[in-house]
Amino acid sequence: MLLYRDGDASAFDALYARHKGGLYRYLLRQCRDAAAAEELFQDVWMNLIRARAGYSVQAKFTTYLYRLAHNRWIDHYRKNSHVAMDSSAEDDCEAIAELPDERERPQDETLDAKRQAGRLMELIAGLPEAQRETFLLQQEGGMSVEEIAQATGVARETAKSRLRYAMVKLRQGMLGWR
Amino acid sequence: MALNERNAGNANGDAKRDARLDRLYRAAAREAPPAHLDAPILAAARREVGARPRSLTSTLRRWHVPVSIAAVVIVSVSLVILVSEEGGEQIVPAPVPAVAPPAGEAAAPATQPALVEAARETTQPQPAAPAPPRRGSRDDAEAPAVLGKLADSARSEPGPPAVSGTGAVATPESAAKPLPQPFRATPRVAEERAAPSPADAVTAGRMAGALSAPSEPPVARSSAEAPQAESTARAMQSKSTEQDRLPVWHGFEKEPPRKWLERIGELKRQGRAAEAEEMQSEFKRRFPEHPLPLDSK
Repeated sequence: MLLYRDGDASAFDALYARHKGGLYRYLLRQCRDAAAAEELFQDVWMNLIRARAGYSVQAKFTTYLYRLAHNRWIDHYRKNSHVAMDSSAEDDCEAIAELPDERERPQDETLDAKRQAGRLMELIAGLPEAQRETFLLQQEGGMSVEEIAQATGVARETAKSRLRYAMVKLRQGMLGWR
Repeated sequence: MALNERNAGNANGDAKRDARLDRLYRAAAREAPPAHLDAPILAAARREVGARPRSLTSTLRRWHVPVSIAAVVIVSVSLVILVSEEGGEQIVPAPVPAVAPPAGEAAAPATQPALVEAARETTQPQPAAPAPPRRGSRDDAEAPAVLGKLADSARSEPGPPAVSGTGAVATPESAAKPLPQPFRATPRVAEERAAPSPADAVTAGRMAGALSAPSEPPVARSSAEAPQAESTARAMQSKSTEQDRLPVWHGFEKEPPRKWLERIGELKRQGRAAEAEEMQSEFKRRFPEHPLPLDSK
């Protein structure tokens, strides 16, 4: 990004090629609407381009990029939904309490990877926004808990808690799908 | 419930990556952005780099010398043209010392009393010397006449302030100053020199009055300065209008996002919604990574 800031256009090509897939999937999973995801995807990159001159290294580029994406998504979310975002710790705890006991879940026969992947996608879609975002940042951005906290503008412990709950739900949801 | 307690107990370790989930997710998440999005983004990135070259300072440095030379040439040419166009008319009084007075007076500088005296002489009912030895009559009458004209024009013409004492402000000192040689008189000046009109004599009389009254030159000067003061006032006015047009976020360019947000909040509290909106959009543009507070959305 520093190279691009200093005028090397080819550096942007490399950045774009490296991050476009992950960013797009992050937005797609968050919006659950391809058209909106495309619009946000374009906006995020345009914001990045416009902010080129003022870019300074304060964190990893991935963190910076996903922070832009997070902010853009929050804007979009607020514009299109009047419901407050489901991200409080209390909600997280409640959600975990409602999880079914794994021993109650019938043990299905082994399923092929494709169906398991499909199941995982369903579970991810069913996560609360904040937990889903945390999980996606870990998967698509390859980010640590600290970086996720930076990108989403929350405390480290909050980010860690969200990620933990997301992982627990996904693991439990996948128990019978081996 | 027991399971849930166990879940909570194991929670610390649950934030770590899960190899199985990672593998499954990678297998499932294969979507890529549509190709039609790539072109505009990459084009915009290139445009941005093109619009703001790599190093502005290096570019400026490269053009520094040619631009400086061009500026010097333009200013010099403009000055020469300006002086040649406007200076010619006003340099008229300069020939005064060049006009050789009769032998006795030749050595004496054209001081104020001498000029007054000369003007008085010309206002005397001197019979118009119709065909006197041309040279001699001109020598006697020309200097005061031309000076009178000059003083007259200084009083009546609202021109720019005197440029290097060329005569718009008709102080005796400046009028009597010798003109740097060589001097080329304009055709009109040459004509005037050849045949001084009777009106010149009257003017010379007035000039004598002007020279004897010390309060006259400041009056002439103030009338000449009036347009200048007007233009200065106009310039100041336009400057203040320009300041009025400054963006609402002017002065915040170097401020951290927190200051911006404070200012936006302040504007909102003051009911200046449009300005708050303008500042907020600029804030978004400058700090896209910085979240806006809830009430700003």
